[in-house]
Amino acid sequence: MIELKNVRFSVPADESNDGGGPTKTIINDVSFTFEKGKFYGITGPNGGGKTTLSKLIMGINPVTSGSITLDGQDISDMSITDRARAGIAYGFQNSARFKGTTFRDLLSIAAGTDDEAALTRIIAGLGICSLDFLDKPVDTKLSGGEIKKIELATIIARNPKVAIYDEPDTGIDLWTIGPMVEVLKREQKEKGTTTIVVSHNRTFLEAADEILMIRDGRIAYSGGLDGALPILEDLSACSFGDLCEGETDVRCFR
Amino acid sequence: MLDALDKELLKTVADLESIPKGAYNIRKNGKLLGREVSANIDIESNAEGTGIVITIKPGTKDESVHIPVILSQAGLHDVVYNTFIVGEDADVTIIAGCGIHCGGSAPEGHEGIHEFRIGRNARLKYVEKHVALGEGKGKRTLNPTTNVYLDENAYAEMELSQLGGVDEARRVNTAELGPGSAILITERVMTDGDQRAESKNELILQGEDSKANIVSRSVVKGDSKQDFFVNLEARAKCYGHIECDAIIMDNGISETVPALKALHPDAALTHEASIGKIANDQLMKLMSLGLTYDESVNRIIQGFLK
Ligand SMILES: Nc1ncnc2c1ncn2[C@@H]1O[C@H](COP(=O)(O)OP(=O)(O)OP(=O)(O)O)[C@@H](O)[C@H]1O
Ligand SMILES: [Mg+2]
Repeated sequence: MIELKNVRFSVPADESNDGGGPTKTIINDVSFTFEKGKFYGITGPNGGGKTTLSKLIMGINPVTSGSITLDGQDISDMSITDRARAGIAYGFQNSARFKGTTFRDLLSIAAGTDDEAALTRIIAGLGICSLDFLDKPVDTKLSGGEIKKIELATIIARNPKVAIYDEPDTGIDLWTIGPMVEVLKREQKEKGTTTIVVSHNRTFLEAADEILMIRDGRIAYSGGLDGALPILEDLSACSFGDLCEGETDVRCFR
Repeated sequence: MLDALDKELLKTVADLESIPKGAYNIRKNGKLLGREVSANIDIESNAEGTGIVITIKPGTKDESVHIPVILSQAGLHDVVYNTFIVGEDADVTIIAGCGIHCGGSAPEGHEGIHEFRIGRNARLKYVEKHVALGEGKGKRTLNPTTNVYLDENAYAEMELSQLGGVDEARRVNTAELGPGSAILITERVMTDGDQRAESKNELILQGEDSKANIVSRSVVKGDSKQDFFVNLEARAKCYGHIECDAIIMDNGISETVPALKALHPDAALTHEASIGKIANDQLMKLMSLGLTYDESVNRIIQGFLK
């Protein structure tokens, strides 16, 4: 169980000043409890704060104020490493690319073993059948879909208590999204993993037990998908009219 | 004949646990320690007595030669001139390397000047490792030179690495490529403390359809400094690529100067270079998989230099 209490994250409004001066609040007083073993879907407009909130839980962003607890233990001041060891895992929206580090390297760090049979079992469970894939360098040559599969595999290999996937579906072909949802569901059911998926994809949101909508750094909605749909449709209306049409005679044709 | 120290040096530079099988030439403190030739590979001292000539018969397949040099005598500066003649259609591996053990405060150094003549359709893999060990404060210098001449359709893969302990290194690599020939040079250098390493590379793509690819990976720690120069000159329709990456840590300084010269309208030359600290997102990823900050740095560097 992960509990967020009045979590706030702000950065200096002006990049050049650190400490003092005006600040910009990105996550604004968020309180929420993620129950053990449930499947959450986080959605909301671009720039709303989904990634920032996920990184606060992983410890990549430090909380400015408020607290985060994992199974009753305050982890607000814990390092990324310690949170990872305590059972939190985060799959990045934009995965790191390395030079010379292979998928096998990442996977064996994640799984804590370099035993070939163990690694093969993990990737087979993810429908990655080609063993050659293990020795692929995790560099800029990987396609968008390949890097996402690698990111997902490293999270599952950690066998975490809380797994956060930040847009695992971007770049994944439509035919793979269904099986990917199945994999996350299976992990949730078999291992009781608290699963949090940030996504704009309906297939993921339909799989969730509860939807969280983050907008302007706040939780704008939480509950079932049905209640979220009207808000989501509202959001899909264009809000860039002024910007796009400008002041001269450009007109929107939507 | 080999003491514990020799064994340790041999293991680090040539992955040798003991005297190797096949042809070899082991040089210790400026003198010959052991030599073995094979039916296809001949090793002889050169006429001047300043080094060896290794002659590989045409058509020799899947054989290897080990030619490690070890140094543990204070104050010695050893210079050798070696020539490698690889016959037509041969396919061989040469494992060279120099290990210095410095126990005192006197300087020790080695200069290996290597010339390779690679015959038509022959393939050579050359692996060279440089290390220096020991507690001594004496300056350890390694100044290797490799000059490679590739005949028609010949292929050479050169893996050159210097992974620690060497205070000063000045490397020179030159290559001249005949028609249809190809060379791949990979250099990996890690420096720390006050160490200095310089690498100068001159590659001339002389023949039509020749290919050259030079890759440099350097890790510059402490107050050390590394400079890397490449000159890729195309004189025919050919392909050339330079890739240099440097990771800077602490107060390390790195200078990379890649130069491309196309003297033929059908030359295709490219280069990529990057110098910088370890990327933050790489560290975050490894830490989020449970490694500490230091462990993450090590893993990233290990992979980078692999
Ligand atoms: N360290 C930071 N410094 C300054 N601004 C930041 C920082 N981190 C995030 N932001 C800003 O906070 C806002 C929220 O960003 P975040 O990446 O969390 O959004 P998101 O909901 O994940 O969006 P998307 O759907 O596009 O992935 C953005 O406007 C972003 O530019
Ligand atoms: Mg995001």
